[in-house]
Amino acid sequence: MKHFINIIADPIFSFPIFSLLFFAMIKWYRVVGTKKFAWIFLAISVPVTVWFLADPQFIKIILWPDNIPINILVILIVFLTWFPLYKAAENDKRLEQGLEPVEALPENREKVWAWPNLVYTELFAIIAGTIFLVVWAIIFKAPLEEPANPTWAPNPAKAPWYFLGLQEMLVYFDPWMAGVVLPGLIVVGLIAIPYLDTNPKGNGYYCFQDRKFAITGFLYGWLVLWIYLIIVGTFLRGPNWTFYGPFEYWDFHKVVAEYNVNLSEFLWLKWLNTSMPKNIFVREALGIALTFAYLIGLPFISLKTKFGKDLLEKVGTMRYYIVIFLVISMGSLPIKMVLRWLFSLKYIVALPEIELNL
Amino acid sequence: MSKKQEPGMAYDMSKLNKVFAILSIGLLITTFWVFLDDYIRPWKAVQLEALQIRQSKLKEKVEEAKKNIDQEKLSALESQLAQGQKDAEGRVDQISKVQAEMKAIERDIKQETIVNGRLNSMVSATTFKYEIANSHGDANAQSLLKTLRNFKKDFELSRDRMKMLESTMKEKTKLLDSLQAEKLQAEKSIEETTRTLDLLKLSLAKTNVTPVFAIRNAPFLDFLDPTLKIQQIVINNVTDDRYFVSVPKVDRCITCHTFIDQTGYEDQPNPHKTHPNLELMVATDSKHPMKQFGCTSCHGGEGHRVHDFNSAAHIPQNEEQKAEWIEKYNWHEPHKIPQPMFKLQHTEASCVKCHQGVEHLPGANKLNAGWEKMEEYGCYACHKIEGWEHKRMPGPSLQKISSKITKEFFKNWVWSPKGFNQHAKMPAFFAQSNNSKPEFMEKNIVEVNAMAEYIWDKAEGYKPFAKYQGGNAEKGKELIKEVGCMGCHGVEGWDAESKKVGAYAGPYLTGTGSKVKSPDWLVSWLIKPSHYQEDTIMPSLRLTDKEANDIAAYLLSMRNTKFDKLKFETLNEDLRDELLVEYFAAFDTLEVAEQKVAAMSDRERTLELGYRSVGKYGCYSCHSIEGFDGRQGIGPELTKEGSKPLTQFGFNQQHDIEHSRDGWIKAHLINPRRWDGGLDKPFKDLTRMPNFYMTEKEAESMTLAILGQVSDEVPLKGVKRLNAQEKLANEGMKVVNKYSCVGCHSIDGWGGNIVKMYDDANEGPPQLNREGFRVQSDWLYHFLGNVKPIRPWLKVRMPSFNLSTEEKNKIVTGFQAKASQPTFVANDAKVEWEPGERAAALKLFEALACTSCHATGFTKDQASAPNLYKAKPRLRPDWIEAWLHNPQEFMPGTVMPSFWEGGESLEEGILGGDANKQVKALVKYILEIGEEEIRSPMRR
Repeated sequence: MKHFINIIADPIFSFPIFSLLFFAMIKWYRVVGTKKFAWIFLAISVPVTVWFLADPQFIKIILWPDNIPINILVILIVFLTWFPLYKAAENDKRLEQGLEPVEALPENREKVWAWPNLVYTELFAIIAGTIFLVVWAIIFKAPLEEPANPTWAPNPAKAPWYFLGLQEMLVYFDPWMAGVVLPGLIVVGLIAIPYLDTNPKGNGYYCFQDRKFAITGFLYGWLVLWIYLIIVGTFLRGPNWTFYGPFEYWDFHKVVAEYNVNLSEFLWLKWLNTSMPKNIFVREALGIALTFAYLIGLPFISLKTKFGKDLLEKVGTMRYYIVIFLVISMGSLPIKMVLRWLFSLKYIVALPEIELNL
Repeated sequence: MSKKQEPGMAYDMSKLNKVFAILSIGLLITTFWVFLDDYIRPWKAVQLEALQIRQSKLKEKVEEAKKNIDQEKLSALESQLAQGQKDAEGRVDQISKVQAEMKAIERDIKQETIVNGRLNSMVSATTFKYEIANSHGDANAQSLLKTLRNFKKDFELSRDRMKMLESTMKEKTKLLDSLQAEKLQAEKSIEETTRTLDLLKLSLAKTNVTPVFAIRNAPFLDFLDPTLKIQQIVINNVTDDRYFVSVPKVDRCITCHTFIDQTGYEDQPNPHKTHPNLELMVATDSKHPMKQFGCTSCHGGEGHRVHDFNSAAHIPQNEEQKAEWIEKYNWHEPHKIPQPMFKLQHTEASCVKCHQGVEHLPGANKLNAGWEKMEEYGCYACHKIEGWEHKRMPGPSLQKISSKITKEFFKNWVWSPKGFNQHAKMPAFFAQSNNSKPEFMEKNIVEVNAMAEYIWDKAEGYKPFAKYQGGNAEKGKELIKEVGCMGCHGVEGWDAESKKVGAYAGPYLTGTGSKVKSPDWLVSWLIKPSHYQEDTIMPSLRLTDKEANDIAAYLLSMRNTKFDKLKFETLNEDLRDELLVEYFAAFDTLEVAEQKVAAMSDRERTLELGYRSVGKYGCYSCHSIEGFDGRQGIGPELTKEGSKPLTQFGFNQQHDIEHSRDGWIKAHLINPRRWDGGLDKPFKDLTRMPNFYMTEKEAESMTLAILGQVSDEVPLKGVKRLNAQEKLANEGMKVVNKYSCVGCHSIDGWGGNIVKMYDDANEGPPQLNREGFRVQSDWLYHFLGNVKPIRPWLKVRMPSFNLSTEEKNKIVTGFQAKASQPTFVANDAKVEWEPGERAAALKLFEALACTSCHATGFTKDQASAPNLYKAKPRLRPDWIEAWLHNPQEFMPGTVMPSFWEGGESLEEGILGGDANKQVKALVKYILEIGEEEIRSPMRR
């Protein structure tokens, strides 16, 4: 069983599984968003967690002081994902019955004083937070390491936990892409959301039906492309950034076979059986063409679909293209991951001469 | 929220207040917890324990001091005191009167001091005013002068009064003392008797846990001036490498190792134990005082970390201790520590980083043993080690090998040196755990054949100059023991003796008859080794032809019959070509490589493979072989092996090897091929480090020496830098070590292994203690070039070494420098006698019966001590003098009597029984007879 889990924890399997689970959760959110489901989930996950913790290797990784915040994060994320789904399921049911959402009930619309209702409770939060941080600091000592040695890097060399998703992206993309363009787009995209989202529904109450696209899109990026990657980067990447299953000993000498090939090499050497053209742009023509098709062609093609037409109508041309561009950029990560796993594809566009690899 | 609250309120206020109260209490508790967590430190408990130990030790001392006090004497003194007090009481009127007078005088003195002081300052000020006025010609100069003189007069008067008062005071004090003399005397005596006890009691009182102690160490207050605190040593001369900056080492070990530098705690358990070697380490007057070298400079570990037992990176010395520590201190492997503490038995490894490039380090016995083993096995030949470059090649030259042994012997020997001679130092390359598969064995056989062909092809001819005429093997055997062969060689037939000596410079002599091709070669070699190999360290023992033949007869009589019968398999040509193709294919395609091989003749192919194989196995690093001049050894450099990150040690599949540097090195030394176990390696990539079949003990001691090869950069101020004299001494010792002088002579306590073979040490080679002080430099130089026996009773011979002029000079200056002798002593001046001194010397010479041992030239008896006529050119006069005073100091165990033990003469009638004068006279006499050897009247 442990061996099996070690194998399926590999992103090659766990990423699709996680994605499928995510979409299943979205599809059956009304089942997920019930207290019954939550209790069953808890009843199953507690013994499973205990069984995991009984493994010496797993508990060693879990209790590594660096990883404590991520443990907390995982638990919080599970709850914070379930809770809005639960609320949304409740409201959606009411809305279908023609009722107003729970938040709009008269007793919930009543206005109360900021003091003490808000300020006092904020003070509670501050005190409770302080107590929590202090106790944490006492129990888990700061994970100080040996003095930095420029000639002897730690292995694995890991970024701070909140950047581990980005570091995991480096497996699939060049630094300029994984470290500059994608994070840049994430920040810009998050800032742009209020300006792009013109949907008036769902303001001030939980719901899913009214904001299907927004919620699904955001949660996929957040849970699958960010949190999942952090979890992989934290618990499943060991020395040399090699993948290790949750129960696998971090053997410093583990070697994995990884030899990746560029798309241009596929094209010229394998498919056309000729030598590589001298001109670098001719050489990479296919990749460049595909990239343009993906970035420019796809938005236009998307207009042909019903979804595209509806959206265009709702938000207008400018907003539509921005949204589609952001979605496409987000999609580039899972696409590249899948291509890597299926075809050992290194770069779609490989231009190391001008340091532009995609 | 379903419950209706007051308007405008979402929650019930009293509930909120309760929550607030609970949270506040929680915060308060957490705050206390923070301080408590900060306050409770393991080392505080240790220091409290130390305080108790100190207290109990002091109590013991107090008890002892009490015992030491003579109670009878004390009570007598006390009754004296009582009597004295009574007497004083009888004179109470007088006493109080004197005391009152003294009080009045005291008051007067005080007043007078003020008057005097004022006048003094007035004099100075007015002097200044007057001088200025006078030099400027001011009108008031004269009046100022007058004032000044008045002040001066007053000042003088005041001083007189003062003197008067003081002398009166003295008188009164004396009077008072005499009035109560008995009492004072008794008090003084009591204080003298109980002084030690009183002081001890004072110290003891300091160890009490008083309220002040509690307050000083209380939580929240202990930042002010605690008594329990972290103790640290900052060492500026030894730094810690923090990669971007080197910082002075900070050692806080003494926070818990409280009594490390104090004697008297040897019986305590750790951490309170006294350092076991205070003479050399830690103590203020030792060579390595704690304040200057700290602790981790030698022990390694994280000296500044006192968080708990584990944070200092303590390393247990063995499994038992590990188990004990796990139970006691919850010990675990240190994380992320580049240099954890050395295991206790490896601490001497640290000496290397400061004491570099020396041959022998007095006091570091384990390290010396490791160095000696490295020298014996010649690690430095294949592995570069800084500071070992001057060492000779460990193996014999193969340049003329064809005249010494047969090819057949060579092949069988190379295949399994221990198969021929179980004491062989030559390691085994073949039939090891990683290459004993049949296909590998076959290839190895081809390689050995090819190497033999190559070496024979390159070998020069050699014609022995002597002929073997047969000899008496029994006599030869005796001779081997007598003349001193065993200082360098173990010899079969003298097994017990060989074991005692443990010689390593030369090979263990066994089966020589099977080994040596021609008896003539052996005789020539024995008579003059340098004839065959110019740079050999094997000396000539000035054997006569007969002696050489006898020894040869014995050596030839030793045969290894099992080995004689071995037939080495012949060269498989197909495999040879295959191997050669593999070599060529490293840079060419298989086809080109095959063509290349095809283009070569049969002989060329064999020689080429031989050449490549010699290079592959690194034979040339130990043996001089033509065609390999200037090639580096095949092993990795070991200069910084001790700092190599653990992750760079390849443990491969050997999971039962301890995961530490020393664990790896030791396992590697015992069986270097083990790392190939469980791996799928092609023939050409097999580990080549040969197997020395070391014992665990040998491996352990070499491990220590290799562990010391660290990359720590110790600032120049911290390392031991040899001064000019020490450098010369060290250069000399390098030569001395090269020729294995220490195999026979104990040089200032180093070496002298052969002496262990003799029941009486005086039968063995002489000890060379402060040799540079003993002998004349020019004499030693000539002696090394032309040895003449000095001690007629010795059967063991000082060999004639084939030393270069430079080497001889180095030895001479080395000894000179080692004994702090600047140069030779000119002693060609004629002896000048004091009146009557010469007669006294002659008398003394007779009286002490010097000639009963130093017979040569005096009587016809067999001499059992050196020739005194030859003393003058050989010995330094100062040494003769020192030697006569105390021979045991220079040669413990010598038969030379100490006539002037403790500076007392046995012959009281001569020169007034003055030891110094007597010795001086004798020295003069010895110098004189050396000067006039022929005409000496004493000569009969």
